[in-house]
Amino acid sequence: MIELKEITKKFDNVVVLDNIDLTINKGTAFGLLGSNGAGKSTILRLISGIYNQEGGEITVDGDTVYDNVETKKRVFFVNDETIQFSTFTLIELKDFYKDYYPKFSEELFEKMRSTINLPKDRKISTFSKGMKRQAIVIIAIACQTDYLLLDEAFDGLDPTMRIIVKRMLVDAMLDRNLTTIISSHNLKEINELCDTVALLHDGKIVFSRDLDSVKGNIHKVQVVFPQVSENLPQNYTIDELVGEGLEVLHFEKSQSVYHIIVKGDTEIIKEKIQAKNPIVMDIIPLTLEEIFIYEMEVLGYDFNSLENK
Amino acid sequence: MFNINLQSRMPIYEQVYKKVIELIIKGILVENEQLPSVRNLSKELNINPNTVAKAYQELERNKIIYSLSGRGSFVAKTNRNQMKEHILEEFDVCIKEALQSGLTKEELKNRIDGVKL
Repeated sequence: MIELKEITKKFDNVVVLDNIDLTINKGTAFGLLGSNGAGKSTILRLISGIYNQEGGEITVDGDTVYDNVETKKRVFFVNDETIQFSTFTLIELKDFYKDYYPKFSEELFEKMRSTINLPKDRKISTFSKGMKRQAIVIIAIACQTDYLLLDEAFDGLDPTMRIIVKRMLVDAMLDRNLTTIISSHNLKEINELCDTVALLHDGKIVFSRDLDSVKGNIHKVQVVFPQVSENLPQNYTIDELVGEGLEVLHFEKSQSVYHIIVKGDTEIIKEKIQAKNPIVMDIIPLTLEEIFIYEMEVLGYDFNSLENK
Repeated sequence: MFNINLQSRMPIYEQVYKKVIELIIKGILVENEQLPSVRNLSKELNINPNTVAKAYQELERNKIIYSLSGRGSFVAKTNRNQMKEHILEEFDVCIKEALQSGLTKEELKNRIDGVKL
């Protein structure tokens, strides 16, 4: 289990993480979502012990990470920037990491390497961006750490490689209870891969919950009411329609059609709106992408404001 | 056989749950037949094994499947009527909404007759 308690991270005087708490349970596939600059990479770098925090405490299975060699052996971090050591060949790079990670499996490495046919003896500098990504990802999996942190690691991989990696992750999760933390902007991928997600914005955690409960708790409601008289649509305010006790993220009305994004129990929402006798009422769960957009909108990170400026 | 729609708004574990019930009702999965392992199914669908395990746990809790430790999950003695009832309950909800939205029973009956598979 990874625990971040009251973590604050600053770069010079800029606060990048502002007193955050986050728990990542063993054996989960954890998705880190967030706007650009929200602090996703910083969290991953703190967990892997690359950065030290200004305040708070980070533990991996109860042990600190920063400057702690024993803990670091159990955590592998795949950087979002393409790898250093570009004068190394793939084999040299593999041997370099093998020195640090005691559970490294040559067999696993070779199995993956030969499947994707990645050249052994060419310098990494001659690799394409995607191949560099492949190289570090297969090394990461072969290191067989308890924790694997992938910072936008899927983004440069082709569809076949993605499937290979996903299948390796399934095996690792079932065989050795691997915990994966993935940051990505590809919400479709997060939806398939992760069981728990956290949303970050501006150095703070917006929510951190299991994915199904996130998706089950927020709904898109489309509702139409009959006109009061000809050309006079019904006019309800947010309070009249949804009432107190439910959190409305978005409320939009055009003529007699209402679009409402609301958090809470479907049954309560249904009951409240039904009482006003709508002609049409649809309540559908949101996709992860929609959840992202509406949660961000509430925080003032809103694509609509582009047109209003 | 286990196709699910990753673009769908329905949670993935719920889709797996419903798919198993559908396969049992259709008679494709029969009593005491072994279900695909969590490992194989999550690899086939490219989804998280915890998600598949969650669907299986839910199915087991509702006595639709049973598991033998170390051997896998199997279809329980199936009460097909009970499962049909489960689907009909969902049907009722849709019908209720349609009626509330002003459709008539006659229109709905005609609609059912016109549905092709």
